Amino acid sequence: MSKYKKIKEVNYPYLSSPATVYEAENGHKVVIAKKESHMANISTWVKTGSINENSENNGVSHFLEHLMFKGTTNYKAGVFDRTLESKGGIINAATWKDYTYYYVTIPKRSFDLALHMHADMMIDPIIPEFEVGPQFEYGKEEPEIKRERHVVIEEIRMGEDNNWRRVYSSLNNAMYEKHPYKREVIGTREIIASIPQCEIMRYYQTFYSPSNLTTVVVGDFSDDEILAKIESEFKFKDFSNIEKCKSDEKIPEIKIKSPTVIEQSGNVTTGYMMFGFLCDSAKNLKESIALDILSTIFGEGKSSRLYNKFIESSNEPYVYQIETCHYQFKDGDNFFVEASFDPSKKDELIENIKNELTNLTKITQEEFEKAKKRAKVNFAQETETVSELADSIGYYMTVCEDLECAAQYLKILDEIDIAYLEHIAEKYLNNKACSISILCPKGV
Amino acid sequence: MQHILKNDIDIIFKEAKNTPRTAVCFYFAIDKPEKFSGSYGLFAKLLLQGTKSKTAEQLAFELEAKCIDVSIKAKQDYLKVSFLFLNEDFELAMQYAKDILLNSTFDDFEKELFKVKGEIKADLDVPRILASDTFVRNLFEGHYYSNTATKTLEEIDNIKKEDMFEIHKQILNSRKVVSIVGDISDINSTSDFFAQNFDFMKTNNSKSEIIKLDELNFNEKTKIVKISKQDLNQAQVFQGWLVPNIDSEFYPKISLMNNILGASGLSSRLFVELRDKQGLAYTVRSSYETLSKSAVFSFYIATEPQNIKKSLDGFMSELEKLSKIPPSKEELEGGKENLIGKLEYFTQTNSQIASMEGYNYLMGLGLDYSERFAKTIYKITANDVSKAAELILNKKSLICALAPKENLNFN
Repeated sequence: MSKYKKIKEVNYPYLSSPATVYEAENGHKVVIAKKESHMANISTWVKTGSINENSENNGVSHFLEHLMFKGTTNYKAGVFDRTLESKGGIINAATWKDYTYYYVTIPKRSFDLALHMHADMMIDPIIPEFEVGPQFEYGKEEPEIKRERHVVIEEIRMGEDNNWRRVYSSLNNAMYEKHPYKREVIGTREIIASIPQCEIMRYYQTFYSPSNLTTVVVGDFSDDEILAKIESEFKFKDFSNIEKCKSDEKIPEIKIKSPTVIEQSGNVTTGYMMFGFLCDSAKNLKESIALDILSTIFGEGKSSRLYNKFIESSNEPYVYQIETCHYQFKDGDNFFVEASFDPSKKDELIENIKNELTNLTKITQEEFEKAKKRAKVNFAQETETVSELADSIGYYMTVCEDLECAAQYLKILDEIDIAYLEHIAEKYLNNKACSISILCPKGV
Repeated sequence: MQHILKNDIDIIFKEAKNTPRTAVCFYFAIDKPEKFSGSYGLFAKLLLQGTKSKTAEQLAFELEAKCIDVSIKAKQDYLKVSFLFLNEDFELAMQYAKDILLNSTFDDFEKELFKVKGEIKADLDVPRILASDTFVRNLFEGHYYSNTATKTLEEIDNIKKEDMFEIHKQILNSRKVVSIVGDISDINSTSDFFAQNFDFMKTNNSKSEIIKLDELNFNEKTKIVKISKQDLNQAQVFQGWLVPNIDSEFYPKISLMNNILGASGLSSRLFVELRDKQGLAYTVRSSYETLSKSAVFSFYIATEPQNIKKSLDGFMSELEKLSKIPPSKEELEGGKENLIGKLEYFTQTNSQIASMEGYNYLMGLGLDYSERFAKTIYKITANDVSKAAELILNKKSLICALAPKENLNFN
């Protein structure tokens, strides 16, 4: 008798059979979705990211993600990468505000090996001191031996040379008052240089508990076959006695308390601008879908309002690129408008985007129908490959904390009408409720 | 894949059952250098900016309302017009394809010119793009392939609207292929549809006027190009060689060597040595890009500016090591599986398959080239890999580094 009990079957749109959610007594969840393919995917989603960090350990979720690849009791550093890549596997991981996830996409013939090594990595990382690299005080003398600390510091440097990243980071910081989302997921050079190995291990032991993990398997398998393997491979250790890491208080902020304008200058030739808004949680599915639709109408594609107004129909265009995006989070979504532009027209652009935001409370039937169809096609697209489907399932399980949201998506989409969209635009995309971040060339 | 030649239209096709969207790629060979840098790119953009019956706005709205995704790209050797749409919209999508390919007016020429200049300036604010642009421009100096974004900025104002009509004529007279992947069981009626409605897609055996380029165009063994830019946190470093292309017997050997050295993912030699063991970078890799008349093998790293020399030494050390000591059996076999597995990974969707098969067919590689490529890869020996590394070492190389001025004093 399997330790994993079936919790629910979810009629995931565009799949030939329901995706099934299982849970063990220790809280470890498993989702199995059947998809005919020569490839298969296994991923484990951990409910932690910058949301669980504080000012002392900011960046530890992401640093740990790197260090999870540095060996286990059974396999030394590098064996996981070498073994699975030599079977044609694509392996990697990613850290974001609400989650960290690890995945392997591999030809089906090597899936058993992938499951075995993936489980081993998730339950038994040893995070060797040597692979972490010596601690040091950033800005002072650097150690001769440079290991993963320096790799992450290089990643931070890379972000600092990215103009959009600079604009986004300042905006993200300004949008929140206290919530941990305020911080950069990647952390700071100072913390990454100095955080001790034992603190990183403690973070792992605090947040990588079975009840915080969802393992997703997508491929052409039977559930029983997969469950049996998962049960024999995922033998979790007990960390209940350790002193747990402390997180900052997490009071959701769904409205910017002090809207601000942040201006920076840099060695650039173009202007970069982002407007940012806070919205309700991604778990509020109807509002979240409405924001997806509003994003399409407002700033996705060449027929979107912003592209049309500032680029296509403009007689003297001064905007080179303009678009919107909607990021979903557990403690409240973000909505952004971003544009690159002629820096001498900065003030004009701000005023004009604000005007367009006001007009967003008047949506035409044509725009509405177009955006709804796009939402349906996007949803279908997310089931095209085993990895895309696994990513969607992981997102619904981790951020929305219920796979049923995926099954409900198209039904709720059909319930949304123009009046509701206009209401959501007015509620969240108000031009007085946003912060703005700008990067311009020096001297402009 | 199947091939059908009907009414002189080359159609390649694969049935993908139970898939909701169909992918159709129209490939056109580019057989001669453009008059001014950026002409083909501008032409590609203008194809979506209005036809005789529809304005750019109408076209964008109608395509997006129907969720017909269209992407048009001009690369050095070809123009690719890709359509991806719901199966039930096949005829409608193809009507748009015909209208765009035959009836574009290029009336938005001035506006598009302005947009392209703005986009290029924003792109060149990205350090990696600026370094890569300088690298490619210098690699192919004097050749059409040196037409990069910076060169386009210098030459784009010379391009005239009339040039667009010339390119249109040239493209319609070129070698072409239509690549289709979707849930279409009756290829005969589909090919009849193209035969009746896409007369302009008749292929021609045009000959390429683009010159072959096998070696770098300078005397020294290694040339260094330095670009200074202040306030950078990382240096952007490229080192590259002109090497045999896809037509050569060396192609699979260099492909495998590249994979082992720096393209396999987290386990390549460069990744392990320069990133994992020396902590020099987050991004380090090698790549092998083949064009119809040349090919480039290159290294890339983004690193703290003071590490430029160390990184370059690291590149050469790994290349030399591989040229002298053939990879172990385990590494060799692993490299092969990795390369072939990645091919499988990147051919999962209808649009990926249509795109790759169309490209291979246009380049004269025939149908199902990937399967034949895989068979060739399995035959490669450890000595072949070392020989591929040695071949590169014996050629001239170009180094390009972008960093703050004070960090460019290396030799």
